[in-house]
Amino acid sequence: MIDIQLLGLLNATLQAATLLFVAALGELITEKSGILNLGVEGMISIGAVAGFMTAINTNNIFLAVIVGVLSSSVFASIHAVVTVVLKQDQTVSGLILTILGLALSSLIGKNYVGKKLDTKLESLFSIDDPSNILQVLLNQNIIFYVAILLMIVVSYTLKNTMFGRRLEAVGEDSKAADSMGLNVTKTQFIATCLGGAFAGLSGVYLTLSYVPYWTDNMTAGRGWIALALVIFGGWKPYRTALGALLFGFLEALVPRLQTYGFALNPYIVKIAPYIITILILVLLTIYKGGKTGAPKNIGIPFFRENR
Amino acid sequence: MNKYNLSKRQAVNELSTFYSFLAGFLIALVIGSIILLIQDKNPIDTFSLMFKLSIGSVNSLSSSLNKATPLILAGLGIAIINTVKLWNIGAEGQIFMGAIAVNLLYINLNLSDPAIFILVLLLSAFIGGAFCILIPALAKVLFGVNEIITTLLTNYIVIGLTIYLVNGPWKDPNSLNFPAAAYVGKEVYLPTIFGKLSYGFLICIIFTALAHYLKNKSIFGYEMRIAGGSEMTAIYAGINAKQKAFFAMLIGGGFAGLAGGVELLSQTHRVSTGISQGFGYTAIIVAAITGMRPIGIFLVGTLFGALSIGGSVIQTIGVSTYIADIIQASTLFGALVIQFFFNYKLLRVDDD
Repeated sequence: MIDIQLLGLLNATLQAATLLFVAALGELITEKSGILNLGVEGMISIGAVAGFMTAINTNNIFLAVIVGVLSSSVFASIHAVVTVVLKQDQTVSGLILTILGLALSSLIGKNYVGKKLDTKLESLFSIDDPSNILQVLLNQNIIFYVAILLMIVVSYTLKNTMFGRRLEAVGEDSKAADSMGLNVTKTQFIATCLGGAFAGLSGVYLTLSYVPYWTDNMTAGRGWIALALVIFGGWKPYRTALGALLFGFLEALVPRLQTYGFALNPYIVKIAPYIITILILVLLTIYKGGKTGAPKNIGIPFFRENR
Repeated sequence: MNKYNLSKRQAVNELSTFYSFLAGFLIALVIGSIILLIQDKNPIDTFSLMFKLSIGSVNSLSSSLNKATPLILAGLGIAIINTVKLWNIGAEGQIFMGAIAVNLLYINLNLSDPAIFILVLLLSAFIGGAFCILIPALAKVLFGVNEIITTLLTNYIVIGLTIYLVNGPWKDPNSLNFPAAAYVGKEVYLPTIFGKLSYGFLICIIFTALAHYLKNKSIFGYEMRIAGGSEMTAIYAGINAKQKAFFAMLIGGGFAGLAGGVELLSQTHRVSTGISQGFGYTAIIVAAITGMRPIGIFLVGTLFGALSIGGSVIQTIGVSTYIADIIQASTLFGALVIQFFFNYKLLRVDDD
């Protein structure tokens, strides 16, 4: 007999991890090409509101996912234009993308605050025995399975395909990649928009299943934790997934501590994940001694000197 | 077929940042107009109303300058930290921490001379802000932990702490629906210069001058610039780059903390989640758009303060207050696009 509470904890861990992982995986692709996008929080927010609005208006959940993903991707292209094409500072552009994304999503989502969804993103199976651990664990949202699929596909693509090699070449040394005849601008542009699409998927999962409703600033710093996850995972998909599980576990565990008999203040409990994130980042950096595995060209705009 | 090649301009116009800002602001107004048109609002009416309600009278102008004060102070802090090429995304949390420090001291200390009491409280706000960035600063200089993420995460921690305090130990039983700490006594209110304009704005002018001196004229500023440059240069110049980075971060955090203290003593008079309405984030835009120049930050901060006041009053005619945020962020994006044409020129390459 498995403890129902423990099952609940496991389930919540997987859900929180999915949300963080999808966004982090997108950022990983973008950063692999040498582009840092600090706009994850804003992109998730845009995808979340666009997907939610589509779901309310059309009742078509599939269309809602597509619209959310595409909106974030188009939104990320602002960052691509400013940093890849126009070679401006990536930190500044990414930060403003977050500010703009949060403001824009609050503005367009104003009339959707508090509305109820008729159809949600469903899980794949149905449970008939809630004490059966296998059933409960398999009964995950479709996005969970999409995330696993994406993890395998992205990892394979990065290692074994032309696109993956091109991405790595551009991210490690854009000048050398350019002289080899690779189109640096195009590669980085695609990688940035892909990152946006992943953030959008994370966003629609947030509003169409995880929460599910829309309100201002509901991303609550998850975009930033996703950024921390990329560092945690050393720019590798599987390790990033492990990190997502760890962070998801923390997010799921902390509010449950009270039911396990710990007398904790609920307000203090809410800030614990952020404190732990900082702590983990510090410990990880000490452990790795500066060798983080970051792409060498990250943050440096590519500029071809006149020949 | 014609192809284009990019070429870096040798000499960039000194006023390019200013021109880029102006052009960016125009672009942002166009974007704002489009959003207003989509929402069936007349842009010209809306903008002229915003203009009138933000700088049209002495009262509204004072409100705008009061609103600009925390933006400018936090922006200056960001600029000082950027001298060593580091980012402070934690100004929002530092503002809250400044206010928390003021209240903590106010509860536990009683000085008979109000002027000295106010000065001590403002000093504690500065220290509170510096304390708030202490962990990210130590993590950066000791271990090289990315300061962008750690300073950002401190925002969530300090705002969470604020929510805890105003719902728990500091909860004022008289504030029923809106959790907040008790008001501070009238004796420590920052007085007004005239109308509604608080002495906080004077503090803001003084600290703008101070930041300008610190960044551009002082030996410490020179050392900070070297420390932010190449590692080897710093070693040759005998400058302890990490030490400079550490102090730059504490001072910058202190500026943002002071913003919170001024906001508490001049505007809100109590600790609540309303201490800052995203000032720390807007300050990033203000600092970045001016190329981290203190005097530019003062001017753009003033404009953005007016814009925020305008944005909050047009809520009454059913326009979302977020329009001000969007105009501010779009201004920076517009400016970045225009800056490109100052830094690079397109050369046409004729293929044969």
